[in-house]
Amino acid sequence: MGLRKQVMIVLARASCNELGRLLKNQGRSDMRPREGQARPAQPNKHFVWSRVGFVFRLVCSSRLRRGGREELYMWTWKALNQREDGSLRPSAFRRGVVSSRASSLQLSNAKEFISLHRGAINSLEIDSTEGEGRYLLSAASDGTVAVFDTHRPTSSSSSSSSSTSIAQHHPLFHLPRAHKFAISRALWYPIDTGLFITASFDHYVKLWDTNSTQVVLDYKLPAKVYGIAMSSIATSHSLIATATADVQVRLCDLASGAFAHTLSGHRDGVMSLEWSSSTEFVLITGGCDGAIRFWDIRRPGTFLLLDQSLSQLGTRPSLLPTPTPSNNESTSLPASSKSSSSTPILPAQKRRSHKKIQLKPPTQSSHPGMASSQNRATAHYGAVNGLRATADGFYLLSSGSDSRLRLWDIESGRNTLVNYEAMSIQTSKPIQLAVTPDSSLVFVPCMASLKAYDLWSGTTINTYRGHYESVNCCFFNAQDQELYTGSNDRQILVWSPSIPAATQIEEADSKGGITSIDQDNWSD
Amino acid sequence: MAESSQSKSGGKKRPRSESEGDPDADADAASLQSIQLENDLNFTDTAIALQMMKAQFPKLDKVVVRPFILRSQLYSSVKDRTQVDRDLESLKKEAVVRVFKLNTGKDDHAIMFMDDYLAQMENAVKRYDAKDKQLSDVFDWFKQYVIKSKTDVSISHPELCSLLSNGGDVTEKHVTLLINAGLLTRQLIDQNLYWFVIPNIGSILKGLSQGRKELLSLINRTKYKEMVLANLEKKRLRLSPLDIRFHIRDLIGSGLLKTVQSPIGLLIRLSRD
Repeated sequence: MGLRKQVMIVLARASCNELGRLLKNQGRSDMRPREGQARPAQPNKHFVWSRVGFVFRLVCSSRLRRGGREELYMWTWKALNQREDGSLRPSAFRRGVVSSRASSLQLSNAKEFISLHRGAINSLEIDSTEGEGRYLLSAASDGTVAVFDTHRPTSSSSSSSSSTSIAQHHPLFHLPRAHKFAISRALWYPIDTGLFITASFDHYVKLWDTNSTQVVLDYKLPAKVYGIAMSSIATSHSLIATATADVQVRLCDLASGAFAHTLSGHRDGVMSLEWSSSTEFVLITGGCDGAIRFWDIRRPGTFLLLDQSLSQLGTRPSLLPTPTPSNNESTSLPASSKSSSSTPILPAQKRRSHKKIQLKPPTQSSHPGMASSQNRATAHYGAVNGLRATADGFYLLSSGSDSRLRLWDIESGRNTLVNYEAMSIQTSKPIQLAVTPDSSLVFVPCMASLKAYDLWSGTTINTYRGHYESVNCCFFNAQDQELYTGSNDRQILVWSPSIPAATQIEEADSKGGITSIDQDNWSD
Repeated sequence: MAESSQSKSGGKKRPRSESEGDPDADADAASLQSIQLENDLNFTDTAIALQMMKAQFPKLDKVVVRPFILRSQLYSSVKDRTQVDRDLESLKKEAVVRVFKLNTGKDDHAIMFMDDYLAQMENAVKRYDAKDKQLSDVFDWFKQYVIKSKTDVSISHPELCSLLSNGGDVTEKHVTLLINAGLLTRQLIDQNLYWFVIPNIGSILKGLSQGRKELLSLINRTKYKEMVLANLEKKRLRLSPLDIRFHIRDLIGSGLLKTVQSPIGLLIRLSRD
């Protein structure tokens, strides 16, 4: 029983109420794992899973989420048995545990960040060093920047009523006058934490040395900067792409300290941008005019524009296995002046062999860059204020001020038409979306709450309410499966997987009197 | 159709679970069909919901307008929204329905069956007598070339001209005639884009937005921001010619109201944030 008890503590599943209800309703026998016996009410076929990673991800995560907590609980017991006798591989087990933790987040009662910001928090980012995402960089509207250590608390407050104490994390450093006006985005240098970059509404992008907290380089831009991005997979360039209220996207070179080149094509300011997670030369920008453009920085002009009226119908099978009339002969959309090529020229991007791609005949255009400036296709009916690509580089999520979240298939450039249930997104500021690395959940800040949606089906999994004012940014820490959110109420909240009832019961047990998980009121 | 006669005699809005039950029952048979005839999917949840709601469209006394359905109403009666979107897309491509973007609110779309839309267009053209008889050919060109081939909600100016010129020489006056007759319009988002509209629908749209506000304020004024559905249905809205069922469905689908099961029946509650 020792291994199971330890793993129960580690697994972090089921709140106290759930467990109490389970104990009361079903009696003690259900809590003991039995060989190959599931609860009779739920059919076993929901837990059919294959070893192939991709199918596992789709089947297991979607099924798990649709099932109740009891099913999840029984799944973990079954998985433990299988892990013990070797029929379940460690990577599959880890994936299941991680996804169950990611879908059970609650406001953390073990950890908090003491933020000294006096303005709305606009950006949160954890460094992406290999194996250790530890330092949280936050930037606020009063021009201050702070860095927190998420692993080691600086102090802990113990309240007299409960035995648990909250670990408090004070900032490692707090720069009170980093910029004159509000900072819209702060980024770690992708390679290590020696540098970080901040962009602000005072038209400056500054590069800081972390150890000395001094400005090393700064770039002056013609308009206020809404966002910056650096590619984390770049080996041949170190460019910072900046999105400003000006129509041009400027690339600033770190190595030389000057501007590399500009990308023009947007008709209004650019609000959000993101480097592709699969190739180092592709930049994705979303503008206030509602267009999402793909740029290859080695050549002029946009090579792909996302249009919300072009859907996947007829080009690809749908994401979830539901019967849809996907093989429709009348896929030929009328020839338009749009230079929408369904085969973007992306170098060194491997195509997935098990999805068919129907090639449309290439529309004649003299120069891809010139034709796309007249292309008025919009991805949203308002401004595009958030962009996030999935970790595998195949899909792109975009949020717009028309309060819609859209999922795009990058390779074909089409709208997958996944409908994320009703949300209301603030319209004035860029927001930061977060996606779990296994591409199962997307976290969207919706006014004063944060909503978690299933990426493939669009159903609401959870709503996280804890902030007093509208949430601006969120970041999902994949190492610990924690979520950090920052909002206009100057707070950074931590959402962690809910603590299992076992630890609470055991701590109470040490004081004496309350039964532990193995015993009932009627056991002797 | 069985359900349409049932719904006409019912006379009140069936709560959400029931209306899902009916499409589901039919969809089971339909999905069985669909498994056997893979390429021929005529009957889906969405199509049945569309038919049902078209039958429940309120009778208006002042304006004659053919039934249209709002997209948010579809979302409230069919559970899976992604499936609704995809079915709509395929129905659009088959030219069974037509989707229009409305200018009330952020993301409103109206869905109308193709034959209804064509009939509405005929009425509008008949009522609008063009001064210059030559120019009135443009209506036929519009119907023949543009509507049949362009299934989107909007069309750009050069494309419109190129499609219309299949019928004859096109000048700016022709496009002006189309706009004056109420078949095309411009919205503030983009100056060079024309949007398809349902003609003669302006007063109803005004009633739509005002009715939404009135219904929301009605529920807002109650003490706990909720009301039993049975009581809510009996009320009449002052400012909107559409009946209250229409507005309830629309607001539930767009997420401003939510339904809660309770021991006394279905409650409608204002959803926070």
